[in-house]
Amino acid sequence: MKGIRYFWGKSRLILIMFSYLIFLSGCWSSRELDELGIAVALGIDKTEEGTYSLTVQIINPSEIAAEKATTRPPVTLYKAEGETLFEAIRKMTKKAPRKIYFSQLRLLILGQSLAEEGVLPALDLLYRDAEFRTSFFMTIAKNASVEDILSVITPYEKIPANKIMDTITAAQENWAATEGVYIDQVISDIRSTGKSPVMTGILLNGSEDTGNSIKNIESPDAPTRLEIDHLSVFKDDRMLGWLNEAESKGYNYIVGNVKNTLINFPCKEEGSGKIGVEILRSNAAIDAKLKKGKPVISVEIEAEGNVGEVECQIDLSKPETLQMIEQKTEGDIKDKMQLSVKAAQEVYKSDIFGFGNAINRKEPNYWKKVEKEWNAHFVETDVEFDVKVNIRRKGTNVQPVQKEG
Amino acid sequence: MRRRKKKTTNNNDNVQLDSRLAKQIDESLEGNLTVIKKTLGDASDLVIRRMTLNSSNKIKGAVLFIDGLVDKTSVQDFILEVMMVEVPPENISLAHVYDEIKDSALPIGEITETNKLDDLLLRLLSGETLVLLDNETRALSASTKGWKDRGVQETTSESVIRGPKESFTETLRTNTALVRRKIKNPNLRIDAKKIGKVTATDVAVLYIEGTADESVVKELHARLDKIDIDGVLESGYIEEFIEDPPYSPFPKVYYTERPDSIAGGLLEGKVAIVTDGTPNVLLVPALFVNFMQSSEDYYQRYDIGTFIRLLRLFSFVIALFMPSLYIAITTFHQEMIPAPLLINLAAQREGVPFPAFVEAVLMEATFEILREAGVRLPKAVGSAVSIVGALVLGESAVQAGLVSPAMVIVVALTAISSFVFPSYNMAIPVRMLRFSLMILAATFGLYGIILGLIALVLHLCSLQSFGVPYMSPFAPLVPKDQKDVLVRFPHWGLLSRPSATAHKNEKRTSGRNQPKEGSK
Repeated sequence: MKGIRYFWGKSRLILIMFSYLIFLSGCWSSRELDELGIAVALGIDKTEEGTYSLTVQIINPSEIAAEKATTRPPVTLYKAEGETLFEAIRKMTKKAPRKIYFSQLRLLILGQSLAEEGVLPALDLLYRDAEFRTSFFMTIAKNASVEDILSVITPYEKIPANKIMDTITAAQENWAATEGVYIDQVISDIRSTGKSPVMTGILLNGSEDTGNSIKNIESPDAPTRLEIDHLSVFKDDRMLGWLNEAESKGYNYIVGNVKNTLINFPCKEEGSGKIGVEILRSNAAIDAKLKKGKPVISVEIEAEGNVGEVECQIDLSKPETLQMIEQKTEGDIKDKMQLSVKAAQEVYKSDIFGFGNAINRKEPNYWKKVEKEWNAHFVETDVEFDVKVNIRRKGTNVQPVQKEG
Repeated sequence: MRRRKKKTTNNNDNVQLDSRLAKQIDESLEGNLTVIKKTLGDASDLVIRRMTLNSSNKIKGAVLFIDGLVDKTSVQDFILEVMMVEVPPENISLAHVYDEIKDSALPIGEITETNKLDDLLLRLLSGETLVLLDNETRALSASTKGWKDRGVQETTSESVIRGPKESFTETLRTNTALVRRKIKNPNLRIDAKKIGKVTATDVAVLYIEGTADESVVKELHARLDKIDIDGVLESGYIEEFIEDPPYSPFPKVYYTERPDSIAGGLLEGKVAIVTDGTPNVLLVPALFVNFMQSSEDYYQRYDIGTFIRLLRLFSFVIALFMPSLYIAITTFHQEMIPAPLLINLAAQREGVPFPAFVEAVLMEATFEILREAGVRLPKAVGSAVSIVGALVLGESAVQAGLVSPAMVIVVALTAISSFVFPSYNMAIPVRMLRFSLMILAATFGLYGIILGLIALVLHLCSLQSFGVPYMSPFAPLVPKDQKDVLVRFPHWGLLSRPSATAHKNEKRTSGRNQPKEGSK
């Protein structure tokens, strides 16, 4: 008896406190792994009636983890339409056997028509709902419908969304003509007056009829493939058009996105063979100044490179040769940046580089005056470039293989 | 409570004995022998050797002992032979025979004189040999204890790679001797007690005077004296009586069968309780960290000692939280799992009919059953259990689609981790709390686990062992004692004893005995 009373006396408070917890649950709904439809890619587009059309790519875990090849596809698509995105997602339960789970989303593909109309309304749910993480790449379907892109079965990587995500990451790190952007970055760029967003595009290469069948991956050279394209230019939340490869690279140099890329240029005159320089590191600094009441942006690039490939007979042991290579590399980088700025200023009239933000940081008083009509000022802003390239290494060969003597 | 007390007094097994025996020894030898014989119910192992002493006045006497509890050769050579052949010299007066025997005849180390029958009887039953004389109200009791025991053998439950292999035995005297051999210090105190109204079990309290906290010793004596029980068959009986708050799954008394662990504890100012009849010796006060330490930590080099201690703490966390974390993350927080792993886990769970919680409880329960089966089985059958466990339950359960392979890994890792503790004592609360945490995880997810953890930490911090905070030196934090908790400093760096138990005599070394590099 005494024991029970002792126990009750000591722990009554704790028991009462614990009983409150039942009403305080945070994440109540427990779900087993086999009740989840794990979505890896989400495609959003507008139909002609103006409703949202939603395409979700859901993985079939047992097909992906299967040790033996199966004839069932590794992913399944579900589509639904709705007045709002949320409605479309909930309507999807009419077709999908499981409630769709979005936390592991790798990729969001926006249809071109939606992108041209404005993406911001569609992004609210994705940013508001607790289930969505912000770590998925935002892309634009460039030459095909969202649905066609999502139904391509990809070789080598079983999950198409993973394939695209990995390709974006690899291309961004090693080629630098694209940029994987996350939703928080896009939203903050849209809301910022001093920078406009960019997004990478996805291309469908080949026929969509073969792409959506398992036959697509039965031959070593898959007839239909997904490819990462260059960057799209936005103004506010509306897509205006596309940058080409050189302009995309120029963009990445300016914003400091280049980790590793390659630059080619002819040795001496045209047709004499080329030299390839591998850029290993690049730092960009955007600075803003006011000159005679007008803003001037200066972009400073400091890059480090290797001689990667030499097709002609030059003497790499001479310092002058290396200087020449450095100068040409600098010239190439500068050209690309100029092209990029030119496209932004003349064709799209959209400040994708964040020059406005640079002015805001340096000259906040001036910025307050121009903030409202920044795009008009942007078009007329002078941009100066200062590129410094250091060639550090020449690979395992000092001289080109063609070099005589 | 009141009712129970009344009942105990009525049922007191000693009461009837006392009424017959409280009295003094009678003058008549035959009378005494009859009473003893009657009290023992004509026990078949009671040996009574009546004799007439080899003297002119024909003094009658008797030698009594319990067969099996005495060393027969010493009874034969040093008592019977002396009494019947040598003692006493021819013309001794009757009155001096007793003193003659007591003072100069018996070549036995320990001789006690008593005139109380109950004392006499207790001594007889403890293995002493009684010498009674006619017309004499005093009796002699010679210590001739000697029975078959196991001998000092290698420890089976706490084996080490480096360090002494000997372990305590079931004999109290052997055990105290094992400790005394390690601590040759006059301040080592060995206080004797008898606990248990029926068993009258010998208990010894060991401590180093001047190092041990007197209040702890005093408190321990008080608690031991308060024990009211019929029998003490193992130190576990005593442990439950002297434990601080009785309702806590965590052990507050350390036990070991390694004499070196006890000696180490005594040096740190702790108090040991040796119980006759068991090799498990208790040590108080016991702190949480003591259960994470092994005596081998001090025998191996300090770097590996530190590494192993951190490893133990890590496995403590795994053993306690692994299954509940798995349940919480896979059923509530799937977004925390990296995508490839999630896909893998999801694929494994396809077709498993039970929720993760049921799956986990099923596997954990199976493991506990297997473990219990393995402990009780004779060694020859033991391997059968491991086959059943590993093959039939592990492999086949996965193949049959009853559990997912990941769950088998989780359970296996948990099980292995729970074997890392040097103290079996501490593995027990971990085993039990694991299930409560699994329930919390299945209902509240990580939120529940954190609540469980908070409750656990609060509980641990509220515990005390003989007035010493259980979580010291973490709570309260004693910075200088951290040298020998999670890490072990080299021996020359362990300048002081832990202040929680040895605050009276903290200085361990004078310091400045760090080996110098390159000194000759």
